[in-house]
Amino acid sequence: MANFLAQFQSIKASFDRIILAVEDVSDLWPLVKQDFEERLPFKSVFLNNKTRNAVLVDELPVEYILTTDSRIRSRFPQEQSLFWFREPYATVVLVTCEDLDEFKTILKPRLKLIVQNDEREWFIIFVSKAPAHNDQATKMAKKVYAKLEVDFSSKKRERCCKLDIHGPDASFWEDLESKVMECIRNTLDRRIHFYEEEIRKLSEQRFMPVWNFCNFFILKESLAFMFEIAHLYEDSLREYDELELCYLETVNMAGKQRDFGGIDDGDDQAALLKPGKESLTQMLQDDSFREFEFRQYLFACQAKLLFKLNRPFEVASRGYSFIISFSKALSMHERLLPFCMREAWVIIACLELINATSSHFEDGLVAPDIEQEFYRVQGDLYSLCRTKFMRLAYLIGYGSAIPRSPVNSAALSMLSWPKPAVWPSLPPDASSDILEKEKVILQETPEVKHFGIQRKPLPLEPTVLLREANRRRASLSAGNVFELFDGRPNAIDSSSPLAKGHALSMPRTNSSPGNFENTIDRPMRLAEIHVAADHALRSTISDADLRKSLSSLEYFEQKYLELSKGAADNYHRSWWKRHGVVLDGEIAAVYHKLGNFDLAAKLYEKVCALYAGEGWENLLAEVLPNLAECQKILDDQAGYLASCVRLLSLDKGLFLTKERQAFQSEVVRLAHSEMKHPVPLDVSSLITFSSNPGPPLELCDGDPGTLSVAVWSGFPDDIALESLSLTLTATNSADEGVKALKSTDATTLKPGRNAIMIALPPQRPGSYVLGVLTGQIGNLRFRSHSFSKGGPADTDDFMSYEKPTRPILKVFNPRPLVDLAAAVSSALLINECQWLGVIIKPINYPLKGAELHVDTGPGLSIEQGHGIEIEKNGSLNVSEFGQGEGSEDHETHGPSETKQLTLQDGKIELPDWASEVISTLWIPVRALSESLARGTQAGVAVPQRPSLVEGLRTIALKLEFGVSLNQKFEKTLAVHFTEPFHVSTRVADKCNDGTLLLQVILHSQVNASVVIYDTWLDLQDGFAHATKGDARPISASFPLTISPKCRAAILFSISLDNTLNKDQVEASHPDSILNVCYGISGSRALGAHTPMDVEALGSDDAVRQLEFRSTLVLQRPVLDPCLAVGFLPLSSTGLRVGQLVTMKWRVERLKDLGENSASESNENLKDEVLYEVHANSENWMIAGRKRGYVTLSTKQGSRIVISVLCLPLVPGYVHPPKLGLPDVEAANISCNPPGPHLVCVLPPTISSSYCIPA
Amino acid sequence: MIVCVAVVGHQNNPLYIQSFTEADDALKLHHIVHCSLDVVDERVNNPKKSGPTLNETFLGMLYPTENYKVYGYLTNTKVKFILVTTDLDVRDADVRNFFRRFHAAYVDAVSNPFHVPGKKITSTIFAERVSNIVKSFGLSSTG
Repeated sequence: MANFLAQFQSIKASFDRIILAVEDVSDLWPLVKQDFEERLPFKSVFLNNKTRNAVLVDELPVEYILTTDSRIRSRFPQEQSLFWFREPYATVVLVTCEDLDEFKTILKPRLKLIVQNDEREWFIIFVSKAPAHNDQATKMAKKVYAKLEVDFSSKKRERCCKLDIHGPDASFWEDLESKVMECIRNTLDRRIHFYEEEIRKLSEQRFMPVWNFCNFFILKESLAFMFEIAHLYEDSLREYDELELCYLETVNMAGKQRDFGGIDDGDDQAALLKPGKESLTQMLQDDSFREFEFRQYLFACQAKLLFKLNRPFEVASRGYSFIISFSKALSMHERLLPFCMREAWVIIACLELINATSSHFEDGLVAPDIEQEFYRVQGDLYSLCRTKFMRLAYLIGYGSAIPRSPVNSAALSMLSWPKPAVWPSLPPDASSDILEKEKVILQETPEVKHFGIQRKPLPLEPTVLLREANRRRASLSAGNVFELFDGRPNAIDSSSPLAKGHALSMPRTNSSPGNFENTIDRPMRLAEIHVAADHALRSTISDADLRKSLSSLEYFEQKYLELSKGAADNYHRSWWKRHGVVLDGEIAAVYHKLGNFDLAAKLYEKVCALYAGEGWENLLAEVLPNLAECQKILDDQAGYLASCVRLLSLDKGLFLTKERQAFQSEVVRLAHSEMKHPVPLDVSSLITFSSNPGPPLELCDGDPGTLSVAVWSGFPDDIALESLSLTLTATNSADEGVKALKSTDATTLKPGRNAIMIALPPQRPGSYVLGVLTGQIGNLRFRSHSFSKGGPADTDDFMSYEKPTRPILKVFNPRPLVDLAAAVSSALLINECQWLGVIIKPINYPLKGAELHVDTGPGLSIEQGHGIEIEKNGSLNVSEFGQGEGSEDHETHGPSETKQLTLQDGKIELPDWASEVISTLWIPVRALSESLARGTQAGVAVPQRPSLVEGLRTIALKLEFGVSLNQKFEKTLAVHFTEPFHVSTRVADKCNDGTLLLQVILHSQVNASVVIYDTWLDLQDGFAHATKGDARPISASFPLTISPKCRAAILFSISLDNTLNKDQVEASHPDSILNVCYGISGSRALGAHTPMDVEALGSDDAVRQLEFRSTLVLQRPVLDPCLAVGFLPLSSTGLRVGQLVTMKWRVERLKDLGENSASESNENLKDEVLYEVHANSENWMIAGRKRGYVTLSTKQGSRIVISVLCLPLVPGYVHPPKLGLPDVEAANISCNPPGPHLVCVLPPTISSSYCIPA
Repeated sequence: MIVCVAVVGHQNNPLYIQSFTEADDALKLHHIVHCSLDVVDERVNNPKKSGPTLNETFLGMLYPTENYKVYGYLTNTKVKFILVTTDLDVRDADVRNFFRRFHAAYVDAVSNPFHVPGKKITSTIFAERVSNIVKSFGLSSTG
């Protein structure tokens, strides 16, 4: 059957559509041909596929062929069954007849003869030529057609249709199409069935020795081809897929080794998309096909169908895996194939596939994910192609032009060398080529990057090429010592003495062309390998384009760039962004080399951003120096600086110290150079900062401080900063904003941790976190936002960019920091030098260096003669503070510790030890009072106020403290001063002889015991001592001690002195004066105490006694009260606000005024008394006359009632109005009965009148 | 032979990368691991394609190339394990087993209270354990 292959192929080539046979019985075809063919091809028809499912075919091309045509006639029966697909799918019988008899006698037998073959599908078209107006003819035609239908159509199937040439009959064409399609469907079904049967039969024999793949192939492909012609591409594709599977299953069956193929010229040009490139007979081998050609053929057929199905994506993805698997197959047969056949094939196959699929692919027609996938496959194809291309280029000595990047290394270093049976040997007359290559190798210099970075280049080769090539040479067996020889003249493996010896014995002039003849015997040198490979490749590669690309370095670079771009572009459109960006880096490297720095920098930036964004520092370290170099050349200072900083901030292990120093010196150089546009620099990754561990700095409101910040420098060397400042951000209020702190001017940062102290001006209360670090290196301003957490700068800072929540500074709300208070509450002695105690109480705040300004108020002065004392107040200390640390300390000092201080310019500097403890400051003061104390009458309630106010002095204190005396505390203390006694007098008794016993009551006012040594009384005029001579009381009772706040009384006996001498009176005493000599012993901590000036003399026996003088008003005794005033009781209903009430007083004359006291005043008003009502106007409204005269008889016992109408205004207990008699001295008025102290006033009755509902 | 294993964080940052080649060419393996993240991303973002393996941590082979294979594994915390091997016929079961053990080692390493999550794994014990796992890779099937 293999003989039919050629025929089969020619049929396939010429046959491309379904044919219908036209049996032109009545020579009608020329007449109707045009009409028939005009309606071709059929549109939107349904066909049944292999599984009998209806499939919509958009367009079905069909050809009508007359049965007399040579193409249908003369075929052998066997051919017919084998190539059945090309037989007509239906026979259309064209007849006409106008006569019934003629039909019966001639036409019918003939038709019967034609349609008797049951195998064929057929139907009859009756063509009526009768003109429309000729009824006779029309009728006749109808009759004949009816007869025809009776004879040929059956119930099951209509096999006739009628065409009126002259009459309009639109339905005919539809009828025709449905009939044709029915026939085609039936035929197709039958043929599918036939082929399937045949294929099944053959498949069953698959593992038998008689199996012949060729037969199977012809049947299978016939079926596939039939489907293809019927436009059932899916089914056709399935057949091919099955065919491929079957082939792969059988081709490598044991014991059936066949030639692989691929050794012909031009086989390197992949025939992936050209099914007809080689005829099937050419790839025939025994009873099967050669794998190399046949598999490509099958793929080409599949691809063709897929393109017809408009699925270029599938072509690409199937193609990619086909190339990979086929490449494996090629490698298995590599020993038989030409040198590097595999690589060349892959390159061309990839390119071919890329071109074909991309030209068929249109964006937007497929789902987005398919589209992405498509571009991904394109990218894969490009990069596969690129890899193989680089491999070939390396072999022929362009290795130096291939960047040793991670991408290229990953692609090439794990890809094994080609494994030809024998490594190609040198062609004759290659000496000049070798020389040239040698020169290239010698000129090759190790790559030195910018900043003098030297790296061990990444490998591009799986093993050393030289060794590999020499090992595979026919003349040298494996294990030869020459293997050890590494090729390059300067790279001899010196560890082996054998090799060394050999190397030395080798002529150094081995690059001279003279040594050529004996290349067989000695190992080839690298240049020779390159030249030999080049030569061999020229014979392998038949593709002109590829040959050209490998012909020179420029062309190679061009192609390399093209492939890289292709891969990158496609990857960019797919999911695989990283692949795309990385390849961009390769493109950049080429541009970099070519001097197109602008483009290179842009692409490098993309790559760097990718690596930096995900933290792949090792990879970044490879690319970043290149970017920096480009930026430097482009004079992009900002970019260059940023790159340098980034280089510095990479992991320290990635660069040598020397290299890192180079980066730093670049930064410093630029910073100090005259930059046209100074750029801000972000060094967040390089200089980080943090607060020191431990609690935050705590400051009181208004205090300045010093903030200690740890700054981590990532620079390899010390770096001098022109300035450094920090910002603080308040955490509590957002509107507060940011406060900048300036640090010391010039700082030098050491590598690693630096402690920086920053002066902190007073801040508002709140807590603060660190904000941004800014500073200047040279003319360069830099910023850093990143915070290290106490450890060394983190390299993964892209993730740790978060603000620290730990505050570095807390400024407390204003609170009292200190308190000043008077040490005693009881009064001090007036007019004497006294210690005024001021308690200074720090409240959790040190008073170190504090100054106290003292300003005494009027009537008070500081005694300059005495020093100021300060003493520790031990007892208060412990109880009030209870701070463990301090208390013990104070105890040891004890409360006794005192210190003398001096007052300078009105201020006192406190000692340091007083800064934390409560201390008492004793200031010697003297309150001055000009007035003498006045005694009062005993028993009369005398308000103490006047004397209190009189004895009150103030002292203004201002304490300045804090770090720079910034805190101030001002307080004015009130200090009471008093006389030691309050004196009151009363007449204790009246003797019959006119002697009066005057009791002088001394009421001690001070909180100290007073000792009275002596008293005497200087009497005023009109009085005289009863005992002539000394006016002292019995001296035996002195000294008399009066305890604090106690009273003592002294009796003086005096008498009225009636010997008045007017002159004397006026000259001498208007008042009596009591003189008291006393001493005082009290503690200054309690109140009044011995004045200091007395104390100073204290040791002497002659104690200086203090003197106290008080005036006493002695009145001549009132003879008798002459008027009595009585308050009459109020009504029992009580008082109420708003209710008038009558207040009544009764005035009664107790004494007849007539005979007595002619000297009394008011002689003309003897019978009249002046009264006055006093009432608080807030509480009372007086309705009557407040003041007036009332008549009162001068006779004893005369009385009168004064009534005044009053209105209480305020509820509560209030003082009632009082009646006074201004003209009469108080001593002459007795109150009987006495007026009430307070009266109760009720609130007004609730008035309901306002509550009546309207 | 396993040439490289890597742990990649959920932000695609390398947490641990160790190559097992003699030559000084770790950088190319960095590149391979980095680029294989494209495939991991693709699988994670297109759950349709991965279909039934959606819930599985083992991602299978990521990279069919001629010279090496890359396998991936994705933990629930989106940490990826990548394995690069030059063995061209590797059984899936072996790789799964490898990843399971590797995962256990990783979990132990990051459970260390001194390890900062999201930072590089510097534990030497982890490195030792990983190299043991790598050495024993495939032994169970052959032996």
